[in-house]
Amino acid sequence: MPVLAAFSPPAALPDAHADDWDARVRALLRPFAARFPQFYDPTVENTPAAAKKATIAWTAFPATLLRTATSQEGRWQRADASPRRAAQDEYCEWSVERNADGKLTSVTFTTELPEYWTHLADTDPDGLLSLYHELVSADVKRADLFDARGKYKPANKWNASTKGRLAHLIQRNNNLSAAVTLVAEATVLRERNGEPVTNKQDLVDCAALGDPFRNSDPQIAAAVNDAAAAGAELTLLDPVGLYIQGLQTTGITAPDGARPATFWKIERGDAKRILRARYSVPADRGYTVGDLKIGGRPLNFGAQLADRVVVKVTALVKPGNHRPRRQPCVA
Amino acid sequence: MSYSRTVGGVARRREPELAERVVVDESCHVFGRLSAPLEPDAVHRFVLGEDAGPRAMTEAEMRDELGDPFATRLLLDGVFPRTPAELFDALDEATDEDDQLRVQTSFLVGERSQLGFRPDLARVPRVLRFVVTRGDDAENGPDILVSASFPDQRRAFELMAWDTAHGGFNFYTTVGDDGAWVFAGNSRHALGPPTEGKGPFESHLSGSFIMKELRAPWINWHSPDANVLPSAFATDDPRRDHAWFTEKDPLGAATCEAAVARPAVTRWAKARFAAAVSPDGNFASPRRVLRQLLSTPTANLVTSHVESRKAVRDDAFDLPQTFFVDSESLTEILGLLPPPPFSGRGTIYAQALETFETRMEDGEGFVQPGDTHFAFLVPERAFEDLAVLRQALEVGLLSERLAATLLMTDFPNPIFSERREALLAYVPETATIEDGTSTFSQEFADAILGAAEDSPVASPEREFAELWTSGEDFVIPFSTLLKNYYEAVTAQLDTQEGFDAHYRLAETRRACARTLPIFGEFALLFARSNVEPATRRMRADGTVEEC
Repeated sequence: MPVLAAFSPPAALPDAHADDWDARVRALLRPFAARFPQFYDPTVENTPAAAKKATIAWTAFPATLLRTATSQEGRWQRADASPRRAAQDEYCEWSVERNADGKLTSVTFTTELPEYWTHLADTDPDGLLSLYHELVSADVKRADLFDARGKYKPANKWNASTKGRLAHLIQRNNNLSAAVTLVAEATVLRERNGEPVTNKQDLVDCAALGDPFRNSDPQIAAAVNDAAAAGAELTLLDPVGLYIQGLQTTGITAPDGARPATFWKIERGDAKRILRARYSVPADRGYTVGDLKIGGRPLNFGAQLADRVVVKVTALVKPGNHRPRRQPCVA
Repeated sequence: MSYSRTVGGVARRREPELAERVVVDESCHVFGRLSAPLEPDAVHRFVLGEDAGPRAMTEAEMRDELGDPFATRLLLDGVFPRTPAELFDALDEATDEDDQLRVQTSFLVGERSQLGFRPDLARVPRVLRFVVTRGDDAENGPDILVSASFPDQRRAFELMAWDTAHGGFNFYTTVGDDGAWVFAGNSRHALGPPTEGKGPFESHLSGSFIMKELRAPWINWHSPDANVLPSAFATDDPRRDHAWFTEKDPLGAATCEAAVARPAVTRWAKARFAAAVSPDGNFASPRRVLRQLLSTPTANLVTSHVESRKAVRDDAFDLPQTFFVDSESLTEILGLLPPPPFSGRGTIYAQALETFETRMEDGEGFVQPGDTHFAFLVPERAFEDLAVLRQALEVGLLSERLAATLLMTDFPNPIFSERREALLAYVPETATIEDGTSTFSQEFADAILGAAEDSPVASPEREFAELWTSGEDFVIPFSTLLKNYYEAVTAQLDTQEGFDAHYRLAETRRACARTLPIFGEFALLFARSNVEPATRRMRADGTVEEC
């Protein structure tokens, strides 16, 4: 691969203002590439053919909740009811719809970056409103999305809960800036008392890379760190973003024997780079998501599907000859 | 492709020399000890307990007994792949592009896989091996499951395949340098004499697929909780660049648990129970079912979610709740009060590790101070036994009241409970199920109640009888007992003395687990300590009784 001409919009979505997005991502990466010798900007430096893709994946259900839960129903309830989706911290958030009987009718998952939707708001506010109408609700008004000074409100009233149809990520750690920071900082090797620190929780603690009990960040950090230890340079694969890899449906059963995978519809992105997907049963089947069973139990919570939604980020590992010295822990 | 074909399909004659070999060893190791070579282009039936030695199956025998896709798509067509790589090539050749048997997933597991590859640790066995599956059944998971360390492995790579004609998994293994195939039995052979407990059923005790570390954080497995990184392999290990590793399921154990292990175990449990009820309602061998519920024939492993190196520095770290209570049965299935999050203090844990000289040790010179990768590894009730409980309730063999009362007997000891196991003496020999109901539960309870009157004061029979008085409204009184116990345990964990007692109890349970065939073969599975062997049991007040 030569030097990348420009960063593409997430999932290479059509975007009349792609240049603005490219500039935004370049601005984000530039300071990290300058500061960390083993993190590079692919629009500045060559990516040779020998570079390898390293996909790091995890489940959407928050590991922090899993660690402290003592019953399945308890943890599913907590995740589904998390105010402002604060607990959904694995770069994937979801919201649910229920019918009048309280039965689950759909679950929508997204990994869409708040930075990208802010970019849309800045470059094409009418398009942003149309997108809300298409994906969230026909009732969304422009005033709902912008404050008095015309600034976009990512956690607006249509996109701030676990109910209905969400728009994009809002949890405070779920953004591109956090992911880039993590990858860049994780290229630094660490040691404690002369011993290499490589285990993921230990590494995150040592390097102050965030919450050691999340699924996502510690795993990204450990994988990046392992590649950096071999002298490689790293960056994120274009189109830069967090993606849904898919939904694991084995063990889900429908009343009429339908294949449960057919109820999963990609709404944004493509099969290899899913940004948004919805799980719902077509009306003509005469039953809803809540009538399905998962592992023999009724599907009552979106979180039961989040257990099986796979989220991923892909790094590019460029072979290198760096001889990094391990640094002491910062925390 | 290099796998071989026989002329005309399959072996057609019995090999007298092999058939006459008498086998004394009936463990799962017997296949590796077979001295004479087997026919490379045949399938040999060697079901320990039924067959005196391996013998080549005739085509008629194979058609009669082997109804799994490995047999029907390959073996019966005269295709005998020698290695896992050849097997998957052969499956691709035998199937259409959209056949679900083309769907391949690989998973990686290895005790000490988190050690990383360093020159000074090069000789420490990581026992890295792959589980590779084929198939994508929406409800039941894959149809073919292979366990092997290397893609080109000839000896002793194991294969399980679901038999659609007869139900259950067929167990196969390769033998010798030629990679000759042996059919070692079907899941049903695990359930009764003369084959139960022999050959593959020494570890696959109820005939199920085994994933010992079934729940997050899945110690030893590649998973989101602990990646097995390329550095786990030596730099010249070809597996580093093999698709089994580079294209392994990115979620590893998380997927294996949800899409392979649990569906596979449940699939067999359902088939087993469906076959156990005869048309006139007689249930075959209820005692076999109760043995899985009241004793501990096998176990799974569970740990804290926290790495032990981190736990010693943390204010608090979670402890596996199933060490304290069988919440998978009592809460998830029977609806009793869930436990609170049990946790230990880092300073107390660190002191315990020092006091008990906890270390990883392989007996061959490798010693590393400290605990397993994730803290506090302990055995817990096996999922295959939980699947049996669910089925026993679903078909109506057991009432919820009986199940709850049995499992609440000696509830502070969720596994290895001699008191609960003693109740097996009263299991009725027969059971009949009609329209989803059975008198079995009442008969079983009556037998225990009858014995309770003449039993000692603190007998398990009396404990059962006391619990039984709660009647059908058992949820509140049983939950109250649990609540008091949870509070007592929580208080004990807050003191060094209390935590140390629980640590010693954990050591007793680990020692019990080591005696199970499933755990015996891995030297670096559990940490070692200086805790003296003893019988220990948890009391309802959260303290530990030591005999």
